[in-house]
Amino acid sequence: MKKDYAVVGKSVRKLDAMEKALGTATYTTDIRLPGMLYGKVLRSPHPHAKIVKIDTHKAEALPGVMAVATHLNTSKVKFNTSATSTFTIPPLQPVEDQYIFDSVVRYVGDEVAAVAAVSKSVAEAALKLIEVEYQLLPAVYDPIEGMQKGAPEIHHCEVGKNIPGEKIHIEMGDVEKGFAEADYVFEHTFKLPVQKQAQLETQAAVAQVAVDGKVTVWSTTQTPHPTRRILATIFSLPYSKVRVLNPPYIGGGFGVRIGLSAKAEPIALALAMLAKKPVKVVYDRKEDFTSSDTRHSGYITVKTGVKKDGIFTSRKISATLNTGAYCSWGAELPGVLGAMGLSLYYCPNQMYDGHSVYTNITPAGAMRGFGSPQAIYAVESQMDIIADELGFDPIEIRRKNIMRPGKDWVLPYPCLSSGLEECMDRGAAEIDWQRRGKPTQQHSTKRRGIGMAAGTHVSNSWPFCVDYSNAYVTVQQDGSIHLASGVPDMGTGTITTLSQMAAEVMGVALDQVGITIADTESTPFEIGSHASRTCYASGTAVVAAAEDAKKQILEDAAKTLNTSPEDLYIADGIVYSLSNAELNIPLSKVAVEAHLRGKQFIGVGRIIPKNAPPYLAHFAKVEVDIETGKVTVLKMVAAHDVGKAINPVIVEGQLEGGLAMGLGYAISEEIKFDGKGTPLNDGFHKYMLPTAVDIPELKAIIVEANDPSGPFGAKGVGETGLIATAAAISNAVYDALGIRFFEIPLTEERVYKALKERK
Amino acid sequence: MQKKVLQFKLNGESLAVLVSPADTLVDVLRDQLGLTGTKKGCGKGECGACTVIMNGKSVNSCIIPALQVMDAEIETIEGIGKPEKLHPLQESFIDLGAIQCGFCTPGMIMSAKALLDINLSPTTADIKEAIAGNICRCTGYTKIEEAVLAAADKMKIKEDR
Repeated sequence: MKKDYAVVGKSVRKLDAMEKALGTATYTTDIRLPGMLYGKVLRSPHPHAKIVKIDTHKAEALPGVMAVATHLNTSKVKFNTSATSTFTIPPLQPVEDQYIFDSVVRYVGDEVAAVAAVSKSVAEAALKLIEVEYQLLPAVYDPIEGMQKGAPEIHHCEVGKNIPGEKIHIEMGDVEKGFAEADYVFEHTFKLPVQKQAQLETQAAVAQVAVDGKVTVWSTTQTPHPTRRILATIFSLPYSKVRVLNPPYIGGGFGVRIGLSAKAEPIALALAMLAKKPVKVVYDRKEDFTSSDTRHSGYITVKTGVKKDGIFTSRKISATLNTGAYCSWGAELPGVLGAMGLSLYYCPNQMYDGHSVYTNITPAGAMRGFGSPQAIYAVESQMDIIADELGFDPIEIRRKNIMRPGKDWVLPYPCLSSGLEECMDRGAAEIDWQRRGKPTQQHSTKRRGIGMAAGTHVSNSWPFCVDYSNAYVTVQQDGSIHLASGVPDMGTGTITTLSQMAAEVMGVALDQVGITIADTESTPFEIGSHASRTCYASGTAVVAAAEDAKKQILEDAAKTLNTSPEDLYIADGIVYSLSNAELNIPLSKVAVEAHLRGKQFIGVGRIIPKNAPPYLAHFAKVEVDIETGKVTVLKMVAAHDVGKAINPVIVEGQLEGGLAMGLGYAISEEIKFDGKGTPLNDGFHKYMLPTAVDIPELKAIIVEANDPSGPFGAKGVGETGLIATAAAISNAVYDALGIRFFEIPLTEERVYKALKERK
Repeated sequence: MQKKVLQFKLNGESLAVLVSPADTLVDVLRDQLGLTGTKKGCGKGECGACTVIMNGKSVNSCIIPALQVMDAEIETIEGIGKPEKLHPLQESFIDLGAIQCGFCTPGMIMSAKALLDINLSPTTADIKEAIAGNICRCTGYTKIEEAVLAAADKMKIKEDR
């Protein structure tokens, strides 16, 4: 395998960075079309209620109001705001449980009506004129309460009370036999909070309907092609008459817009159809918090059988997750949670049972990590307990049990590479692991500790969802390359990374590559940017398309140079012969000569990705104030097996950003609800995500285990930065205080209470 | 509400626009003047995406009433560099991988510029304090802090010459 690459593996400048630094980059929220109206949404103040009456006459009469949409005049096609309708693999059926507007509201913030007006202020004024009469219904907020017989029914479900989709069951070996063989059995239950993506650009869409009925929607979606499918279904349009695109930038995603951007797209489109004018809908920050998907909260129980020598004999995980008022990803996520929770370690006997439960809170869906941060927090917290009880060093007991290539696991694809040991060893050296467990500053009111946790995830969504990619590479008449992929760039470096891969395969300089992304009209079907798949899966399609185009070029050039295609390669835009150094022809000449004969080289990449496990080890050094309970993270180290870093600086950026988000998950971020389903943390001021002053030294270490299934050896990266962070920090707090927590975030309040109880 | 004429200096040029007393500076910049480089992330002064420099100080333009800008000097991201002559901060942000989704970038750069305009030898703590009101959800701030330090060094060398 060729190891010296010309473009791949280099930290080239991001191709989108210049526009973004100059302020000229266009986002959905920046779009303004001629005649464009502004849409605003009326939301439910109640957690569960029937709309008995809705009167919009006064709102419609307000000057400047062009349309009012309610459940009475909009589509009655049920859908799912997430992309499950595109992704769910039969025999599982996608859960389609909502309309644009319904006659029942199921959480505080649920959509009741929307107005399109000539200005934002007129639209807001009109909302206040809509008269709604509600009949309150009983509500439930906890998933375990929600599945009880007497709980209020939020949606009718076949499998069990308020349980959407299927209950997930995964099994390998015989867990009961495994527990019987164990010398020790550990069982612990962990409680997970609601975390919010809090991407900087709120949910937004601009919809335009042409006179011939063709629809164009610019939006913040991470998945334009699946989003088109959802919209076409809701509005009963041929897919070919709906165009969905990013403009082309998105102000972050982190899973919150896989499929629709909450309901920004269908609301904008419904209003545009009613008003016969383009309509822009931008969620304000509060709406983004209360009415777009969160991370799943819930309960996870881990039961593990261990021999005296620290080797696992059996493991059973179960999860009950809170999916809120609508299912979104609630049917798929429990499967990923279970599979990833089981797959980090080799264990001959494994079982998982998990599912979601509807409740009357903000819907939970996809958020960076998609079940893995929850699973890994539980599994890796328990691993620390096991190490402690059995007297093993936490790294050594992991070394004994980690999954290794060639061993069995519950996943249908093989583990072909693992750099986890190297991650643990290099991370340990960086954090000064030997200092762990050594008491410091006993005379002071501060206690320091060191902790670690390992983790894994996926490189695309198969086998949990449908997953495939297509891409075109066209060679222009001057020999430059145009690449078309339907995948967005939500800041993760897609444009740059895919262009680097295309340039590498085609043997041209990076500045010879032009790229179109995230537009259903000019790119072939592509699942989109989620599941850490863009580099791995979309990249594989780009490589295949480039290889296809290159093959055509070399066949053509071989005739001109009177040699065989196998004798030729391209470098620096010139086709060279392997056997004769004198023999060469510029790619531009091959392209223009083909053009004169009426031919363009068009490469098509159509791939179904395999999958590969990225591995990681996170280390945290913390300081806890025993008088206040405040946890301060002093240093975080994240050593990641990324397969191959196509652009190392982009990879580091992904890891550092993930760590910061994981740090928030561990110590400060949580949306709580009052007793009546109203979220208490509905803005940046009330939701404690890390700012620059909260960030300690972050050290990202890149390990490259070169997975044979990935493009140039790459595996998924995007989500992995936060997967083990919470467990690493929680384990460090244990090292500092000797107090074990079974719930995050480790807020001052929670830690203070625990310190007080200990006294 | 009656509209009033607002006169101020924007990126070095004097101009007058008609505004409502209820308008905020970010709305005037984005909606009236088409300067969409300044982003709106929360509308409550909590995220810093709308940061501009007003009379030498970084401010959240979403909570500045437009009329308060009367006779003031405002600098926005559009005014500090050009593709062929980037501001050292813009250059460092690009070169050091400090930009991901880019939505916080203009505000982040403006907060950093307000700092470097008065202090070319900032410590990491100075930088953290200067950007503490600017939320970035993508980068973990590390590369942003490195970029601000690098820009300060570049500007200092230039000044020392």
